[in-house]
Amino acid sequence: MTPMAPVLRLALAALVLSALLIAGAYASAFLPGGTPAWAPWLCAAGVPVMLVATMVLGAARGGRLSGRLALAFLLVGLLLVAGFALALGLPAEAAGAPLRLGLPLRAAIVVYGIGLLPILILPVAYALTFEAQTLRPEDLERVRQAGARARDAARGAAGAESP
Amino acid sequence: MIVAVGLLYFAVVVAISVWATRRTRTASDFFVAGKGIGLVALTVASVTASVSGFAFIGGPGLLYKVGLGALYIVLPAAVTNVLGAWVLAKRLRLLAEVRGLITVPDAIGARYRSPAAQGLAGVAILVAIVGYMATNCLALGYVLDAIFGCGLAWGIWLGTGVTLAYSAAGGILAGIYNDVFQGTLMAAASVLVFGYVLRAGDGLAGISHAILAADPGFLAPWGTLTPLAALSFFFVFSMGSLGQPQGVHKYYMLRDPMQLKWYPLLKTLGLILVLLLYFGVGVGVKALVAGGRLAPLAAPDAATPTFLLHYTPTLLAALVFAGVAAATMSAVNAFLNIGAAVVTHDLPVALGRRLGNELFWGRVTTVVIAVASALLAQLSGAMVAFLGIFGWGLFGSTLVPALAVGLNWQGATRAGAIASIATGLVLTLALESLAFFRVLTLPAGVTVSGLCLVVSLLVFLLVSRLTRAAAAAELDADVRLVMEV
Repeated sequence: MTPMAPVLRLALAALVLSALLIAGAYASAFLPGGTPAWAPWLCAAGVPVMLVATMVLGAARGGRLSGRLALAFLLVGLLLVAGFALALGLPAEAAGAPLRLGLPLRAAIVVYGIGLLPILILPVAYALTFEAQTLRPEDLERVRQAGARARDAARGAAGAESP
Repeated sequence: MIVAVGLLYFAVVVAISVWATRRTRTASDFFVAGKGIGLVALTVASVTASVSGFAFIGGPGLLYKVGLGALYIVLPAAVTNVLGAWVLAKRLRLLAEVRGLITVPDAIGARYRSPAAQGLAGVAILVAIVGYMATNCLALGYVLDAIFGCGLAWGIWLGTGVTLAYSAAGGILAGIYNDVFQGTLMAAASVLVFGYVLRAGDGLAGISHAILAADPGFLAPWGTLTPLAALSFFFVFSMGSLGQPQGVHKYYMLRDPMQLKWYPLLKTLGLILVLLLYFGVGVGVKALVAGGRLAPLAAPDAATPTFLLHYTPTLLAALVFAGVAAATMSAVNAFLNIGAAVVTHDLPVALGRRLGNELFWGRVTTVVIAVASALLAQLSGAMVAFLGIFGWGLFGSTLVPALAVGLNWQGATRAGAIASIATGLVLTLALESLAFFRVLTLPAGVTVSGLCLVVSLLVFLLVSRLTRAAAAAELDADVRLVMEV
């Protein structure tokens, strides 16, 4: 088996840590006094970390991640953590407080910050780094040749077994 | 007008299905459209399969009821499409190149060289599909009864019958091109309805002012939900999306894998258009009720029909009603196809006895599943509702670790995959049953689907770690190549 690259090792560790954070949030809800105030904070940290860790696992090529992609993941991870943290931590808006793009501040953070801003980063980063990081025509050719070899070998084995 | 649009809609569906049936000649055509679907068609079909009728009726109703917290079901759309592209799309499409795979359990079987893991994943999918299918058949019955006034029972059989006809004859090819027609209709209708919402509510600022004056908690970041409940929605609908076979399965169908480059961007934009109605009607109707311009709704699910009938032209209302039927039929078609593939392909492979004519048996199984689901849909509403609850969570907890993580981590093992699939299956069924029959009450904010997903993931990681010595030997050379590209 190929030795695990540091980027993948880090992503896997982050995946384990984030799963434990989310599990901890759920477990704390069973405590006698009800869900503690810190439980949602565990989820608010755990869910973005898990998403970014999973994306890194999928996007890493040969155990490496391009700088542009790493920056995109970092930005989106921070955006989600900050969005959830602000939603949890900001006080309720006073009556008559100004709206931001038609919504109260905290609602605007949720709708625009968590729901829309990542669209401007991730799918664009995916498209811009596609050939460098995801798939090249020569990759496809290698895979197709491997498939052809595997089919030939299977046919050969079947032929050898038949009388 | 609404009946006429409904009839016209069904005529188009029939025409597309006849065309697709003439092009369905092999099991590969039937289950994965011969891997010959173009980028735009696949994107629109995938958007349609992702949203179902919930985006048009149940979603806006939930938003009207619980406020902004209901958005956490759809907010992950900004991330999930590109997440799926990085984690699954390339790997599955390339596995289809080397192994000729046609189902999601096929990929699990190939990854771990394990018919047992493939069979177990197939069983999990089949259990979830039973619930999804019955719920969607029931929803079709309600929608068609609302359009044609034919009664619930006839609505169930009429809707299931039409979907069955094109699913059994044209397989996924008919489904894809019907989805393209239906998805285009849904996106157009959603954008138009959003425009009417903004006009009726004097823009988004007018809507916010009306709601804040009457019920400020509605526009709080979690609405009336607890923060943990809203974040749990976000978790289940983001990570859980990696295990939904109706979406994942479509990666096999793209004609040219290099076209994946634009898939996440196009699909995300398409989803945003379709989800405008979800957000718009949910907050718009709340503002109209808060401002005294609309009577309070008898039930939250009446939000969309009430807005359409009071504030949009009849033609647009008819298009949305047809769109709801379309989305539901699209979901039924996808689940019929996936269920048939499990019965005729995955389970025989797991048992070591492949069927001779998968196309023929695929069609037969499609008919059997559809009839069984329609019969089940006619059972008591409570039982059908129960069956529908666990579909998404069961797919997530059984498939996400073994499939999404396993295809990207060479250290994952067969034992880890089997343990996590079994954990997800048993735990979800047990906890959902106990919660439904009120034997167990979970604390506020804890969802069975979220709990089972995270437990199944931890089991997968732990068991793979404990059995890591076996990992290298369980990985075939061609699969390793696909994982390293």
